[in-house]
Amino acid sequence: MDHVIEVEGLAKTFRPPFRTRKVEAVKSVTFAVEKGEVYGFLGPNGAGKTTTIKVLTGLIRPTAGKVAVLGGAPRDIGVRQRVGFLPEQPYFYDYLKPRELLDTFGRLFGMDRALRKRRIDELLELVGLTHARERRLRKFSKGMLQRVGIAQALLNDPELIILDEPMSGLDPIGRKEVSDLVASLKAEGKTIFFSSHILADIERLCDRVMIIDQGLMKAAGRLGELLAGGRQEKEVLVGGDKDVSGIAEKPGVVRVEAMGADATKIVCSGAGFEDVLRGLLDGGFSVVSVTDGRMSLESLIMDLAGQGAEPPTGEVAP
Amino acid sequence: MKNPVTASLGRMYAIMRNTFIEAYRNRAFVGLGIASVGLVVSSIALSRLAISDQASRVLVDFGLFSIALLEVVIAIVMGVILIFKEVDRKTFYLILPKPVRRSEVVAGKFGGLLLVLAVALLLMGLAWVLSLWSRGIDLQPDMFKALALVWMEAALITSVALFFSSFASPVLSGVFTFGVFLVGRSVIILDELLTAKKGLIVQNPVVQTIASFTVDVFPDLSVFNIGKEIIVGVPVGWDYVGGAGLYCAGYCLCFLALAMLIFRRRDFV
Repeated sequence: MDHVIEVEGLAKTFRPPFRTRKVEAVKSVTFAVEKGEVYGFLGPNGAGKTTTIKVLTGLIRPTAGKVAVLGGAPRDIGVRQRVGFLPEQPYFYDYLKPRELLDTFGRLFGMDRALRKRRIDELLELVGLTHARERRLRKFSKGMLQRVGIAQALLNDPELIILDEPMSGLDPIGRKEVSDLVASLKAEGKTIFFSSHILADIERLCDRVMIIDQGLMKAAGRLGELLAGGRQEKEVLVGGDKDVSGIAEKPGVVRVEAMGADATKIVCSGAGFEDVLRGLLDGGFSVVSVTDGRMSLESLIMDLAGQGAEPPTGEVAP
Repeated sequence: MKNPVTASLGRMYAIMRNTFIEAYRNRAFVGLGIASVGLVVSSIALSRLAISDQASRVLVDFGLFSIALLEVVIAIVMGVILIFKEVDRKTFYLILPKPVRRSEVVAGKFGGLLLVLAVALLLMGLAWVLSLWSRGIDLQPDMFKALALVWMEAALITSVALFFSSFASPVLSGVFTFGVFLVGRSVIILDELLTAKKGLIVQNPVVQTIASFTVDVFPDLSVFNIGKEIIVGVPVGWDYVGGAGLYCAGYCLCFLALAMLIFRRRDFV
């Protein structure tokens, strides 16, 4: 199998200025991304996602471990020629117009004038910014800037696209457009590595995922395998506005979600389900439905957060 | 497949062009225009205050001094904030993962600043020439050589500023660069004191060693100042300007090489 990204035992330690204590942003991460797949990178804030991505893009050097991108070092010019990157909350030269910004980046990729013009026109059309091509970036909204960021990440028609929180700052329509874009890039055979907090997108788009927390890899593998290996859940939909806080404290309850003003969803583990259901019926609650469900990605992340280094399912972390 | 040298030059040109666009779309350039007009007005006013036969001397001397000072101020200010701004605003996160070497980024930024200094010099030089012309002073070729030397001095100071800003904060970089400028302007005096027969410098071995080291290592910026020669009418040949250019290039290469070395190893957290 062709590996587009290979990371083995990656660790990154920082020493903040004027401090003696080091900060271990990434302690041990090992994974491989195969050609043509969409790989999701998940974890809470401060887990080490952006640090890992910065190592992959050559912005920082690893303290330990091996990193190969498209078979070479992340800082290799030839490798970078084939990679597109969207940083988290991208910052631009706000005195430039989108056309000028993309033109500057096109020059860095060694694209000739005709190719630059064609790609800029295509990409501004793709991200819906043709109408704003001559407007200074300082006048752009956050969502528009994110679209410019996506356009610049695709400028060189890259084989590998690294997206750090690509949905950040986008409205629901923008998120849908980015999701569709990722799906179409996958259909073109591109490899996409992206981090996101929006779990629904990860579940929908990714072939495989990796979960990282506190600098340690917690789980990695095909999403179906990871979720199937976890505990089974049942979702109980309770109607009415009666307070369910007494039930929510029962040991079998995984989480409680308000579903509008007059319904509540209680997610329980398979083992605790009967006790929860009995409590609801005895308490006079209106149970609308009970559905079997596999473990959700959200539950898996919640379960893994704060655990030790050993992943519970899927590929084994070193 | 592009020639690697052409490709590298193309990338440096892209960075240089962007640096220049940033500068000319900045309000500071308007300030530069105002400073140029101020230069003409103050030179003419000062020359009117001077004794009649000293008017041309005042215009030449004050004009050159003002241009050199403004050029150095631009070099220090822009040199120290340029890299810091990219890191602070995180715009480097988009540039550095592109297929560009960090040394090319430093070289491109330096090239862009040289272009900014050249345009600023053109504006101020024009204002100076206008002020000379308005007082009926003959223009000499050496005056243009003096302007070229002012640009060289500013270029050297820019490379110093880029070197310091590759590892220090803008304030510290500014202080260090201004320190190098002051020492550079004083090297000629220090050199004269070293050749004197008596005085603290030659009598104290420690002070003498420090002074000798300073003279040997720091750039002698008096090389780029030919105001006195113009005033007293001593001709300055193109060979002198060429030699000064090589002197400037040598120092620039050293400081830029150090800046590139530090910048290459730097983590952008």
